Amino acid sequence: MTGPHGVGIGWRPEIAGFVADLPGLRFVEVIAEAVPSAGPVPDGLVELRKRGVTVVPHGVRLSLGGAEPVEPARVAHLAAVAELLAAPLVSEHIAFVRAGGMEAGHLLPLPRSREAVDVVCANVARAQSELPVPIALEPIAALFDWPDDELDEAAFLGEILDRTDALLLLDIANVHANTRNRGTDPVALLDRLPLERIAYLHVAGGAEHGGFYHDTHTDPVPPPVLDLLAELCARQRPPAVLLERDGHYPPAAELRAELDAVAAASGFPAVT
Amino acid sequence: MSTAGTNPMAPAAHPATDASQPSAHAPLPAADAPGPTPDATGESPGSLEQRQAQLVAALVAGGPLPPGFAPAPLAAARAALLRKRAGEVARHWPLLAAGLGADWPAAFIEWAADRPTSGGLRDGWDLARALRARDALPALAAEELAIREAAFRYDGQRAPRPRRSPAVGRAGNAIAVQLAGRVRLLR
Repeated sequence: MTGPHGVGIGWRPEIAGFVADLPGLRFVEVIAEAVPSAGPVPDGLVELRKRGVTVVPHGVRLSLGGAEPVEPARVAHLAAVAELLAAPLVSEHIAFVRAGGMEAGHLLPLPRSREAVDVVCANVARAQSELPVPIALEPIAALFDWPDDELDEAAFLGEILDRTDALLLLDIANVHANTRNRGTDPVALLDRLPLERIAYLHVAGGAEHGGFYHDTHTDPVPPPVLDLLAELCARQRPPAVLLERDGHYPPAAELRAELDAVAAASGFPAVT
Repeated sequence: MSTAGTNPMAPAAHPATDASQPSAHAPLPAADAPGPTPDATGESPGSLEQRQAQLVAALVAGGPLPPGFAPAPLAAARAALLRKRAGEVARHWPLLAAGLGADWPAAFIEWAADRPTSGGLRDGWDLARALRARDALPALAAEELAIREAAFRYDGQRAPRPRRSPAVGRAGNAIAVQLAGRVRLLR
């Protein structure tokens, strides 16, 4: 069981054939909620596991930032999927996805307050007590901030990581999105993040709409995101970087070129 | 986010976006959502739990703008959630989206704006039924709905379940017949 290494890609059923044909691939992610806890594991992932490819379950619906305690059944599911895939770690978001009995449908930001830090840390501790492997936490891309932030992003994240002893899953496209939308400096944020705790990076595409940068995962990775990836890897390169694509899948040649661009920016060997 | 692709010609497969949670959360009307009652100075925003509920209600159920939030970024987030939802529904209901053509995703977004999601499968099913009820379901989408109706029992409240007995599904001019789990479209 090896940790994430090199350039990876988010495994999705729609691109299973493309992913299976990547000769140098050592690492993928799968959306944890897409794998039934009692199996079967999708065939494409079974084949990748036989080749020794590391598969990391990436949860999207745990709602670790929800004010209610994280649902034990969801933690149990994530734990079961980690076992099924013999995963070295799992990952989830610093976000909430439901409240008051309603699903938001996506990851929503928390107020960067002491109260929210306490809520996240309590839920991460609940999850960690049931998970067979370490968890990496991912800060999200947010289009809005809460009105009463007490901490900046680096302080908020640092506090959560220190108190939970969790790993960091840093999404470089989210760093771009948040700093672009807030009008702050992405490199200054990188300077304050604990880069040595990064288990792996995410990189994804996005687009500008109505004055905001949207982290869509359905558009190409724009040059500023690749530049930021290069900037980060020049400081301290994490063990792995994973491309997330979640729709509007381009022709295989374009997706290969994008993986090559990620490899070039990060200094990892191409996997194509 | 990832959803398993749904082959409209193979409706006997179990469609599910969230294999970990067989039962969806029942949506609450916005008016019932707990929310803070800030005073005139906005100094009592309520607990985090109340404020999260109020924010979600504002984003997905037409609830009021929570106090203190900047309207434009929240509107952008609301629109982004609806676009994402439309994409998920289109993956579950490809012929519904294709049948509406250029009107998709606007038709979905108009329908969904004040309705919290029940997941892509049920959202699309509910929309298809609403369009059928007012004779506005395109022919392609009618075939898709008829096939699903023949294969699954869906009460509009809980996750659809495969039918055990023979059934006929109708939508517009489309009629689908299901026998022993196999569905045939008659016309």
